[in-house]
Amino acid sequence: MKLRFFVIFLLLASLCSLWSKEVAVQGGGIRIMQLMRNQNAIKRYPDALPSLLKMMNEQTFARFDTDPLFISSLTDERLLENPILYVNCDDQPNLEFPQEEREALRRYMEQGGFVYLDAGIKASFLGSDLGHSYAAWEERPEVKELFAQVIPEKTFIPLPRNHDLFRTFFKGLPKNEYLKIEENQKRLPDTVLKFVEQEKWPQGTYSFVGMKVKGRLACVASPICAMGWGKDEFGSWIPPISFRIRESAENFDQNLKLASFAGGTFEVTREDGLKDVIYSEQGRRPLWVQEPNGRWRIFKYYSGEEISNYAHAFYSRLGMNVFLYALLN
Amino acid sequence: MKKITLLIFLFFGCAQCLVFGQVPPSPSPLDPGLSLGKPAADSEESNATAEAPSEPSRSTQSQTIMRAGKDLRHAEVGRRVGAAKLLGKYPGIQANLLLIIALDDKSPLVRRASMVSLAEQASNGYLLYDKSLIEKIYSKLGDSDVEVRRGVATMIPQLVRGLRGGVVYRPVQAGMRADLVLLTQKAFLDPDAIVRQNVLKYHLYLGVPLPVSVLEKLLADQDLGVLLTALGRIYSNASQVSIVNKIEDLSKHSDRGIRLKVVSVARDANRFHVRYRSILRGMTKDKDPEVTSMAAVELARFGEKIPAEVIERIKNYLLGVEGMSSQVTTILYSISAMGKDAIQVYQALTEHSSSQIRKVAWQRYFNLSSGVNKPDLWMPALEDRDKGVRGVVLMSLRGRSLDMTQADMQKIVESRFPDVRIFAGQLLLTSKKELVEEFGFDLLIDEDTVVRSTTIRAMASRKVPGWVNVMKRSLLDDDYVIQRAAMDGLLSDRAEGVQALKKFVSENPRNRISSMAISQLLARGIQP
Repeated sequence: MKLRFFVIFLLLASLCSLWSKEVAVQGGGIRIMQLMRNQNAIKRYPDALPSLLKMMNEQTFARFDTDPLFISSLTDERLLENPILYVNCDDQPNLEFPQEEREALRRYMEQGGFVYLDAGIKASFLGSDLGHSYAAWEERPEVKELFAQVIPEKTFIPLPRNHDLFRTFFKGLPKNEYLKIEENQKRLPDTVLKFVEQEKWPQGTYSFVGMKVKGRLACVASPICAMGWGKDEFGSWIPPISFRIRESAENFDQNLKLASFAGGTFEVTREDGLKDVIYSEQGRRPLWVQEPNGRWRIFKYYSGEEISNYAHAFYSRLGMNVFLYALLN
Repeated sequence: MKKITLLIFLFFGCAQCLVFGQVPPSPSPLDPGLSLGKPAADSEESNATAEAPSEPSRSTQSQTIMRAGKDLRHAEVGRRVGAAKLLGKYPGIQANLLLIIALDDKSPLVRRASMVSLAEQASNGYLLYDKSLIEKIYSKLGDSDVEVRRGVATMIPQLVRGLRGGVVYRPVQAGMRADLVLLTQKAFLDPDAIVRQNVLKYHLYLGVPLPVSVLEKLLADQDLGVLLTALGRIYSNASQVSIVNKIEDLSKHSDRGIRLKVVSVARDANRFHVRYRSILRGMTKDKDPEVTSMAAVELARFGEKIPAEVIERIKNYLLGVEGMSSQVTTILYSISAMGKDAIQVYQALTEHSSSQIRKVAWQRYFNLSSGVNKPDLWMPALEDRDKGVRGVVLMSLRGRSLDMTQADMQKIVESRFPDVRIFAGQLLLTSKKELVEEFGFDLLIDEDTVVRSTTIRAMASRKVPGWVNVMKRSLLDDDYVIQRAAMDGLLSDRAEGVQALKKFVSENPRNRISSMAISQLLARGIQP
């Protein structure tokens, strides 16, 4: 309850700044907490969250402290003083928490806190390969196990594509103007753009699962998005990102079924609940996929400035939508 | 003619790859006896799925590549595209040769798919080292299709590695065909911004010079990515007046990132032309305080005096930021270069809402002001709500001999923060005796164990009147940490302390500290 009042207070404070932009903001923005269970561990994307928070300050009227508050334990007393907790699951040594931390997490969610589990979705075939974002539609097993102990009566449910979270502030996919490129410039290769618009990120959405507590979305998990948030001091995106695209071609349903292959297969849950079968060889990126409708498609990998810029623009818009949703709901 | 050479490569490539082990051993790819439906000789390589009875047997790698090779010559574009996509999955000279041939396909869709597959092979670690093949791929930088050109431009680093011949490095340009050098120079001004940016980014790898006239045009490019890259490529021409003029123009660019890059470029190019410094001076009047701050900081590093109004702007900017970011961190640390002028900025920032900023500000303010014996200066830091902020100041003060007034000492002793009261206990070690007598007993009844134990150790060290009694009573404390501190205190004085400890041990043999005390006494050659 206390936290809920605190959230409302922060929200009002944030909205007040909307009307007083000319008045120098003497700091004091909303502080996002970031869990780092091992404070000495290397953060995979150290520029990510500060850059995203700065972008929100620049592009919206919300005011965030660009310096995340790192906590190493969920029993940290500051947990209940701040409404949003960000966890990059790949940055944690494991997701096994002692009883008191699990109870603290439950209390936090029940009292109005919002938890964002980045990399809380991770397709099994990725193994220890971090930094790959793949649209699976269920939380990773460690997350499932943890929340079965935290809130056993609840489960994660996929967020529908029309969920408010995906349109809190930004709607749809980035266009040339947002990307700061010339109007007639090709923002992506044709096949990539088509796949992105129709399947990968339709209307600027992505594979998210969420858990409601007391009727409120209190926790969301997504494939890793933080790699798309970082900017250097001149405003260039860091680090470079590549795309994995499913492509079809004539005869693939036959050819891929019979083509040489010496790896293993992995099942990944789709948005419709059915399973894709991913064909992957050890030490290499996945080769192709057999979809439940019998269609076979090949994975193609695209890299380059335009790919990276587009991916960053998408992930940062999505990230901003998540934090703003958390703030407003 | 070149195509014929490639075909010869293709047909003899298999033998080569067996020698170099780039493709797993397999029957001859040209063996017509093997069909796709027939169980393959190396089927044990197939995975569990492939062995499932419901699934047809898979072909060998060589068979798959051969089949794709045939499809690449198919009349239907879709079939050719599919083949080109599939070949990206089989790293090796055979697949690469087929893909390189397909780069000449009349359909841009096939050429695109081939480029993507070649890039996939390279990113999977399969690099080409044959110069003629690399030149063939690179020549597609002049392709009519923008996606193909983008693909080539993105692949330049991998192509260069191949051209350099692995571990044996040699200049690339020396062996680059004249027509390819011309092609590269033309690509600097390609209609597509991504191609321009990539060629500009990698031209040094290729050893292709960037003419001044081209650089001038690129420094006026409409694309921000090209512009940022071009700014990073001015150094070999930085002394040219036309380039200095361009940099000056860009110092007023509408994009803040570009202007920040200009600050960095003007700093680094300062040795090439005197006007770079005046550009920096001009930028201290920039409308964006971040740009102003960065420009001022660079000038201060050159030893220039920064005008008071600029310092005021930097101060206001830093007071207004919402927290630390990489840029803020850079500015925050760099304003030290302003010397005494920086003191007022740091002082103002000690009241910033961000604890991280306050921490740095206090640290710098304390050091620049030589603040050790100026309690008025650092006392407010001990009232900071953030432990980290208090910590940096306390760390600078610990172990120093401080001339504390009674009023200051009172404030520290009555602090609501245990770390500050612990510091008060530590201060008793070096304070005037009257302060120890006045505040020592207040600290002895502190709720925090560490405060009490620190005070006990300090009182034992200073041997204030009645200290032995304090130690004797502390030996009966419930807290082992306190007992231990009292024991150590008594052990430090052979005349009174040890006697008191011996007496305690004999009167309280079952006390939990007694066994430790006995062993300590024995270690000092004293019979308890």
